[in-house]
Parts: sequence; C-alpha cells; structure tokens
Amino acid sequence: MDFTVVADNFSYFMLGAWPDGPLGGAALTLALSVVSALASGVLGLVFGIALAMTRGAAHNVLLLGLGFFRAIPVIMLIFWTYFLLPILFGIDVPGTGTVVVALSLIGGSYLAHSVHAGILSLPPGQWQAAAALGLRRGQALRLVILPQALPIMVPSFINQWVALVKDTSLAYVIGVGELSFVATQVSNREMVYPTEIFLFVALVYFIFCSTLELCANRVARRFGTGAG
Amino acid sequence: MLDELLAPKYLGWLIEGFGVTLLLSALVSVAATALGLALCLGRIAPSRLWSWPARAWLSVFRNTPLLVQLFFWYFGASALMPEGLLIWLNTPHHWDLALFGVRWPSFEYLAGFFGLTLYTAAFIAEEFRSGVRGVPAGQIAAAQALGFTPLQVWLNVVMPQAFRISLPPLLGQYMNAVKNSSLTMAIGLAELSYASRQVETETFKTFQAFGVATALYILTIIVIELAGQWLQRRRPAPGAAGA
Repeated sequence: MDFTVVADNFSYFMLGAWPDGPLGGAALTLALSVVSALASGVLGLVFGIALAMTRGAAHNVLLLGLGFFRAIPVIMLIFWTYFLLPILFGIDVPGTGTVVVALSLIGGSYLAHSVHAGILSLPPGQWQAAAALGLRRGQALRLVILPQALPIMVPSFINQWVALVKDTSLAYVIGVGELSFVATQVSNREMVYPTEIFLFVALVYFIFCSTLELCANRVARRFGTGAG
Repeated sequence: MLDELLAPKYLGWLIEGFGVTLLLSALVSVAATALGLALCLGRIAPSRLWSWPARAWLSVFRNTPLLVQLFFWYFGASALMPEGLLIWLNTPHHWDLALFGVRWPSFEYLAGFFGLTLYTAAFIAEEFRSGVRGVPAGQIAAAQALGFTPLQVWLNVVMPQAFRISLPPLLGQYMNAVKNSSLTMAIGLAELSYASRQVETETFKTFQAFGVATALYILTIIVIELAGQWLQRRRPAPGAAGA
C-alpha cells in the first residue's frame, strides 16, 4: 500500500481544479448533496402533504407519479433529465443541474411517503380537535399537525439524505467532476494505485455518511422513535 | 411512423441487456439473502467477537456509495490479487451441468456480482434484524417453557416469524438490487442501462431507447410487488391468525 498518490493529488480530490478551474472533487460532492437535500426536502414536504390532503383520483395520480420515480434506477433518471431538461427549457443545462434535478425528484418521492406516514401517525383526534376549535383544514395542518409530525420525520429525512450523498456519485455517468469522477480520472492517469485511490475515496464518503447517520440516531433517540 | 420505432437489432440489444439485469439481480438476491442472514446472526450475537466485525461491515458497506465499491472491486481488488488467480478468473472455464453448459462469466460480471452482493447483504441483514426484533419476547419465553433447546427456539419459533415480518422490506431490497444492478454499467457490464445508452448513441432515438429500458425496469418492479402481495395473502404475517 502506497498512499503517496493520495497525498500528491489531495487538493484535486478535495477541490477539483479549483481555484484555476471549476469546483470539483469532495467539495462538489458536498455542494451537490446540500442543494439536492434541500430541494428533495421541499419536494417531499409538498408531495407528502398533498398525499395526506387528497382523496380519490388526484391521490392515485400522485401515487402513480411518485411510484414512477421510485421504480426506476437513479442512472435512468439522470439519463432522462440529461436528455429532457434542455428540450423542456430550451437552454443548455449543466451536468450539475441535471444531477440535482434527478436526485431531488427521487429523494422527494421517497420523502413524500415518509411525510405522509408521519402525518397519518397522529391520532385523528388531533384533526377533530382542531376542527372543533374552528380551524380550517389548512390551518389545522399548519398549526396543529405539522408541528407534531415534523419531529417524527427527522430521522427518515436524514436517512434519505445519506442515500442521497451516496447517489451523488452517479453524477459520474454524465461526467460531472465530483469525487468519484475525479477518483477515476486520477486512477486512469496514474494507472498504478487504484486500490489506494478507491479506499481513500470510500473513506471520504464514509465520513460524510456516518456523520449524518450519527445525527439521525441522536435525533431518533431524542424523540424516542428508536432507530438506533 | 415505422422509422420512429427501434429496429429489431436494437430491440435485441435491449432484451439481451434486460436478461443480464434479471439474471444478475436474481443471483445477487439469492446470495445476498444468505449472506445477510449470516451477518444478521453475527450482529445480534451476544459475543463481541461476532457482533463487532458484523457491525463494522454493516457500517462500511452501508455508508459508502455502491459505485465506489464496484470501482474498488473491479480496479482495486484486481491490483491486489495474485497474478495466478487473476489469470484464472479471466480465462473462460466450461462446465457441463446436465442439460446446460455454463459459460464462465466475464471479470466485469464477477466483480459486479461480488460488489452488489456484499452491498445488498448489508441492507438485508438490517431488515432481518428488525424482523427478529419484531418477534414478541413472550414467544421465546413460551418456547423455552415448552422445553425447546435454544437452537430449536431459533429454528422453529423466532426465524419463521422474523422471516414473515421481514418479507415486505426484503422484497424492497430485491427491487433495490434490480435498480442497483444498473450501476454495473460503469464497470462495463452490458446490462439494461448500458444497452439503452448504446442503442441511443447508435440510433439517436433517445426517447425510444430510454423508454423501452425504463418500461422494462418498471415492469420488473411491478412483478416483484405483485409477487409480494400474493405471498403475503398466502402467508399472512403473525397476528393475522391461522397460517
């Protein structure tokens, strides 16, 4: 084992070509993760609330749409967004944007079900009591239901974000210069130390993901849902 | 209108890729279930000699991307292997099993199978573990009161119930195995996603190429879902009386 290859390329692994070129490497992985995590959180909330508030046909259409994103591999969705986004918006969408859209849609579809389940987990008496106090459905949701349901959902949000950090590696397939892409680049250039390179890269992802996992376990213990 | 469709040759590529996806994910599901069960037993073992290595495995394999793991097995592990083994793995071997001749898989296939199995097993182990935790403690106490040995308690009381509880999440992991098999395209295995990309570059019929591949993935997921519903109707989860 000879890790000098990692030491020699350390700044490239962490930042890509930055500051002389675009940001890449682990920093881009983090940036992609944060933006997609926020967007998937918002989408998850919106669709989860929509699932809880709709009935009948609208509800089924929504379920079908969310089911689609959960049924196809992330790679296929990245291909689709890569192909469709420029057609839909008539502009060149950079690879990073493509990946963020794909990951947010997938993450959002999974989170929508967690949000829906979180809302359903509250006793119906909460809705009835809010209605008895003269609150409209939207008000009841905002003032009574969500403040109680959101803390329950925090662990599943964080777990979904761990999956999301890992999925940013798939940006590799459309040549976005995040950590995995940079790793294969260095590996192809150096030709000699693939084991060391991929071990190091795995370690970086491991640090990102296990930190998040620790947070999830902490939060779960605090709210007594016991995922740990 | 006809020239909008894919030529039979390209449809053939996609079907072939679909075959690779199905076989690979089926093999991975079987192997990962066995390995996942072993990992789960290690994880819940009272001795730290067993539980700590299992814990470390689960943590490492769940918290790193599958893509990086595949790269590691494909590029990294082959650099570590003794040359003799590598040559042996790369040369075609041939066995004749009864009616079928078994073709020796490519190194891409082996690395993909190996990487996917280790990754999937880590997730399956956790599903089994929650299944075991879902068996009421009274069941174990009752079996002990009836004079069952610890092994009998496990085999006859805990495992059958734990397995039934973990069936739905287990099927979810099999669906993930199908979807995750798409990542092996990055190490050059010609499965469905790889084939769709290849057809797309050859024909420029992006919509059709991705559309067929997407439909095939969705079809597979629906079939697994229906199989799960059928299984559950046949063998209801504990608490639903009878069975």
